[in-house]
Amino acid sequence: MSGIEPMTQISRVPLTDAKAVQPILRLSDITKEFSGVTALSDVSVDIFPGEVHAILGENGAGKSTMMNIISGVFGPTRGTLSFGEDVITAMTPEKAAAFGVAISYQHPAVLDDLSVLENLRVALPDRVFAGGDPRAIAAAMLEDVGLSVPLTARADSLTVAQKHLLEIAKALALHPRILILDEPTAALDQDATDMLFTRIRRVVAGGTAVIYITHRLAELRQIAHRVTVLRDGRVEGRGMVAEVSDDALLGMIVGRSLASAFPPKCAEVAPPVNFTVTGLSTRKVRDVAFSVGRGQIIGIAGVEGNGQSDLMRALAGLEGWQGDVRLNGTALTPAEVTAQAAYMPSDRHSEGIAAELTVRENATFSAVDRFAQAGIVSRRRELAEVRQIFGSLAVKTPGLEAGILSLSGGNQQKVVMARALLSQPGFILADEPTQGVDVGARFEIYRILREVSASGVPVIVNSSDAAELEGLCDVVVVFSRGRIAETLHGAEVTEDRIVAAAVKAHTHVASASAAQAKPRDGKARLRHLIQSDNATVIPLTAVIVALALYVFSQNGNYLSAFNISNILLLATALGFIALGQTVALLMGGIDLSVGPLSGFLVVVASFFINDGQAPQTIALGFVLMFGIAAVVGTINGCLIRFANFTPIAATLAMYIGLQGMSFVLRDGPDGYFNFAVMDFIGWKLGPIPLAFVVLVVIALVAERILRRNRAGWQLRAIGSDENSARRMGIRVDRSVVLAYVAVSLFTALGAVMLMAQIGVGDPQQGVSYTLASITAVVLGGTSLRGGRGTFIGTLMGAVLLTEVLNAVSFLGLSQMYQYLFQGALILAAALAYSTARSRAQA
Amino acid sequence: MIDNSPLANDPSPFPDLRQVRFARGFVTVLMSTLVLLLVCLMVAPSSVSAGALSGSLPFAAIIAIVGLGQMLVVQQGGFDLSLPGSVSLAVVIATHLPSGNDAQLLPAIGLAVVCAIVAGIANGFLVGVMRLNAIIATIGMNALLYGAVFAVSGGVPRITTPLMSAIAGGKVAGIPNSILFAVALMLLVSFVLKKTVVGRRFEAIGANPAAAHAAGLRVRLHQTMAYVYAQLLYCVAGILISGITREPTAFQGDSLLLPSVAVVVLAGTSLLGGRGYPISTVIAAFFLNQLSQFALAVGVPFSAQTIIQALALVFGIGVYSVRWRRSARTRSN
Repeated sequence: MSGIEPMTQISRVPLTDAKAVQPILRLSDITKEFSGVTALSDVSVDIFPGEVHAILGENGAGKSTMMNIISGVFGPTRGTLSFGEDVITAMTPEKAAAFGVAISYQHPAVLDDLSVLENLRVALPDRVFAGGDPRAIAAAMLEDVGLSVPLTARADSLTVAQKHLLEIAKALALHPRILILDEPTAALDQDATDMLFTRIRRVVAGGTAVIYITHRLAELRQIAHRVTVLRDGRVEGRGMVAEVSDDALLGMIVGRSLASAFPPKCAEVAPPVNFTVTGLSTRKVRDVAFSVGRGQIIGIAGVEGNGQSDLMRALAGLEGWQGDVRLNGTALTPAEVTAQAAYMPSDRHSEGIAAELTVRENATFSAVDRFAQAGIVSRRRELAEVRQIFGSLAVKTPGLEAGILSLSGGNQQKVVMARALLSQPGFILADEPTQGVDVGARFEIYRILREVSASGVPVIVNSSDAAELEGLCDVVVVFSRGRIAETLHGAEVTEDRIVAAAVKAHTHVASASAAQAKPRDGKARLRHLIQSDNATVIPLTAVIVALALYVFSQNGNYLSAFNISNILLLATALGFIALGQTVALLMGGIDLSVGPLSGFLVVVASFFINDGQAPQTIALGFVLMFGIAAVVGTINGCLIRFANFTPIAATLAMYIGLQGMSFVLRDGPDGYFNFAVMDFIGWKLGPIPLAFVVLVVIALVAERILRRNRAGWQLRAIGSDENSARRMGIRVDRSVVLAYVAVSLFTALGAVMLMAQIGVGDPQQGVSYTLASITAVVLGGTSLRGGRGTFIGTLMGAVLLTEVLNAVSFLGLSQMYQYLFQGALILAAALAYSTARSRAQA
Repeated sequence: MIDNSPLANDPSPFPDLRQVRFARGFVTVLMSTLVLLLVCLMVAPSSVSAGALSGSLPFAAIIAIVGLGQMLVVQQGGFDLSLPGSVSLAVVIATHLPSGNDAQLLPAIGLAVVCAIVAGIANGFLVGVMRLNAIIATIGMNALLYGAVFAVSGGVPRITTPLMSAIAGGKVAGIPNSILFAVALMLLVSFVLKKTVVGRRFEAIGANPAAAHAAGLRVRLHQTMAYVYAQLLYCVAGILISGITREPTAFQGDSLLLPSVAVVVLAGTSLLGGRGYPISTVIAAFFLNQLSQFALAVGVPFSAQTIIQALALVFGIGVYSVRWRRSARTRSN
């Protein structure tokens, strides 16, 4: 073995040759177990400054686990990490960051709803942007990785390659001492890859240690100095790249495994073909062609994410495709393909089983029509068929009515197979059929697939385990970058050949300008404006003005100073509450309790803020209003974050409770408010109430915080993608609770306005503000999915809603129209915004 | 390695009763109800007297029926805020069109059903096909339905027809008819969900839409239909109200929205979607109603009753969120 240490000789003494340089990071005997399953065992690796250290291995070899341990996402079960002199057992993301570890994830932690600039600012500490114009600094970061997109572009308009570059730019901007790059080139074309390599060489020259995870041997030769090979969670070998041959590396990646337990393959050399695919293309797959002979099993191979699962999903009818698919010689339409296919998904928990249903229900929900007469299921036939198929698949279950989760992974997978077989499919697609399945059940699944194939039903298996494909399949199609790199037949189907075809492929992403954006011009700027969260302000203004002019033309009193100030006062109460609701919706939640809360606060205030009360008492009333609001917000937030309530459930309970509390305090309207206070609240500058001016100022300030402040970015980050937000180090729980407190405080401001409007503590008032606030927010253009919204839009939504309700009476229309307009308005707005958004994405 | 499982040799078409595990929601709701009844008997016997029951049970029946409708929507991961509008619309159609004339009752009911189907399809189209958020779509639909309520009634109540009052307010063998309606609808919903092809697929889609989609089921169609079924149930509830209440107002549905959600949650259906439990939902309606009766009987002011409902709701969700957490843990293992 030229220059590479075989695993068996690894000792615990320093692993380096007599090099003067000390490792910057040393992993010593790291073991990581996930509830009994060992992901890494006794892994020791030294990382040196000024070097690119490649980590090589197949899917599931433990590479990602190792990266997560280095970056502090989870701690090792046993073993230590040493950064220079510091020995660490309990690693946290904060410590890792302090030691200068930066990571660029394989699946970029990029938030679709935020702009490119905001993505950088929320993910990076303030010090990165200190001492200069943040926009210039951010632009330099993008320049650095050759990414030319406008800073204001929303991240969802970026291509996958651009998102990867953005992710890399974030890691580089930290000037890390240790830079981890997880499959950085997976989506990049040749130019971008070359640029990235130049960049990596530059940081390495500056003394940074780079840990480079890859599947591709070709890249390893170009960029890496040192290599460590992982297999099944162990270090299989290590050495200097220059001293190892490709064959030696391949041998270490693959290893040998027992092949004896596989069922015998198809005996015929050229069986009659019963399934062919020609010229099949999808969004990610180009020009795929293969054919299946009777009794043969076709394997789909390749490095994960090169189009294999897209092919499977296309053949299952879950994704659109073009091309020609023939079953037993007849061409199938897309609808027929969907009907004939039985798809066993790779992600069993999210797409395979329904956790709440029983074993029997899981097995039969697609085939249930076969056991029915006139739509009514025959229990006898259903049970008979299920028993028969469970018998032949040897499903081990405590009973047919047991919950599906009480079965082992292997038996759950057999239930999914039973469902596929019961539906009497034309062909079977098994996507990673043995993932998460124990060894015993694994070989039974192989046997079943063989039997199905022998019975004349074509079987197509996608697997990332090359040894499995070698043992199981007669023909293997190897994918690279969405195309077939090689098709292996008969004796060629060996693990070595499969892995070699997958990792040696040199093809790069076809599109030459994947990382380039369209040129900036006036049109692009207009597009950005239309795509921005505040785009709704323009049509809303137009509608508000047009409606006002129309009503004015019908009734001259409409634009009188009295009516204008009346509309604005009503809109102010709604506006404050709707601003609060906007906060809840921005982070992907909702607060149903705002209406009753505003009513309750008014009732509370009606005991303190009366005529003849001392100023102190009146002040106490206001303090209580905001204090109670803060408590209610805290309870809402805590129920949602710490007691696992959905936002609807938590705030609904709060809704009912607060309504009751109002009635406990007052069973009818009583407690008239202090006139001086009400006068003050309703004070006007000409026709414009001062309170409305305050509302506008607060909305503008809130809008600025949302766009320009870390708190605002964090709020939108959580609403956009909670997991990515957490990976960026945002303290999600704390932020959400604080946000619900903010919702309640805005509601308290609304309650102050409501107080002046009603003039008395009435327990029945306020409740309607829940629905009205949601309506106003939706009119304003905030998305209920979270991540996108605008306080200015909400403000205009509140004005428009109030204006519409007011206009009805000025036009002499009946109450019916008040409801009809309200309903039509919200539905029209929701439909218009959702189509505009889907257009923008297309 | 390969052995035939014992199941293959068991010819019995009936499930082994030892294996039947009652849903946690059913056990929780049933036990809570029994405990409540026991407490009522001991502390406030007047709340379980025949007179009190026959007075309050019709309202429990109404809550049960709208609860069943809400359950079908929540089960599909939706949320139906158009309930008040649709119940109120059925009420005013059933009272205003006949205007006391029995002969006009049947056409009025027919019209109410047509309106319910139209509203259901509209809701389903907006949510299932246009992918609007269920809350927004049903808020908008609720406003439109109230527009229709005012178009029919102008907002003024009208006295119900004698026939409707006899049908909905009458008794068979001492049992209020409304109870019989509620029980019949519960049996119907249970039967359809458990024993028909449509129902079984409906349940599977609710339990995991992604898996159902991967298995080739028509997820959007079933999700759309959930709103139609719900509207039909609200419509029945509205028509019954028009018979039970002598002079129903135009806002009769408003007070039913929160209880409808509360009973669904108490019965164990997650607001994130999943399995629906019709029998538990009906028992939960009885429980919620009896809780109010008990509170009234022991002298809790009417005003404080919603607080008790809120606490019951928090308790109910608390029980299920513990279960959810445990199963989430099992899943991650």
